[in-house]
Amino acid sequence: MSTYDWLLMLHVTGAFLFLGGGAAAGILNLRAWHAERPSEVALLLQLIARVAVPAIGIGSVTSLVLGIWLVHHAGYSYGTFWVWAAIVLWVVAGALGARGGRHQTKAGVEAARLAGAGDTMTAELRALVRDPVGNALSYGSGLTLLLILILMIWKPGQ
Amino acid sequence: MIAILRPHSWDFPLFLHVFGAMVLFGAILATTTLSFVGWRVPALARSTFWALLAAAIPAWIAMRIGAQWAYSKEHHQLFEKDPTWIGVGFIVADLGALILLLATGFAVWWQRSQKAVAGRVVSGLAVLYLILLVVAWLAMSGKWGS
Repeated sequence: MSTYDWLLMLHVTGAFLFLGGGAAAGILNLRAWHAERPSEVALLLQLIARVAVPAIGIGSVTSLVLGIWLVHHAGYSYGTFWVWAAIVLWVVAGALGARGGRHQTKAGVEAARLAGAGDTMTAELRALVRDPVGNALSYGSGLTLLLILILMIWKPGQ
Repeated sequence: MIAILRPHSWDFPLFLHVFGAMVLFGAILATTTLSFVGWRVPALARSTFWALLAAAIPAWIAMRIGAQWAYSKEHHQLFEKDPTWIGVGFIVADLGALILLLATGFAVWWQRSQKAVAGRVVSGLAVLYLILLVVAWLAMSGKWGS
């Protein structure tokens, strides 16, 4: 394997963890929407924090670092549209995901409180889990990752 | 270097393949997590089933269609004989269909019967498929045997 192949393999590994972690978070979040008890909501949101978020974190850093290394190695220019646009979108995805995560943390805290006090679903918890702003931020982050993948494959401006 | 030389007409099939594979990995990661935690919390058997049915299977279909489409465009022009990475990709993709169907079947049984053994089989199949997916993406992105 050439250096380019090694770098690409590790860059793609980061991308799989980044986008795959995002997909896992989305699936677990959607299951929390349909959960019938606060204890189940709390557990599903905990799984996002313990499994999906670490995958996203490791994947985001790996894909960026190895991506920049690949730009140097393959002789791409930072002035090329798909290169700088992907870096900008990486920052946007991180910012949206972090803001969306705060909404989920709030829902998780309320779910854990209710789980310890009779474990009965309330309209407030349902509204917190289905909060349109929090979900728009989180799913917006996922959509941004999709745009990065599109840039990586089509390479506009190349 | 294939990425640099690739004509734009190959981009959409490749996108479909890679996007499907990434979502499939995420869906299997969620399935693995849900099935293991479901040993203690039986209510999660339903979530495990839905993760497989509504996310993993559609993602597998997108990945496999993209793979065949990209292969039909690329293989005559790039290779005289399929390299190792293509073979690994096909084996994992096609074996994956069997694993997915088995896991979904056991997830249905688990959801209906709440039998622990069904949950454990789903966990085992999900871990096996997760490992195979990692091997496939390493082989295909590293172009093993080229």
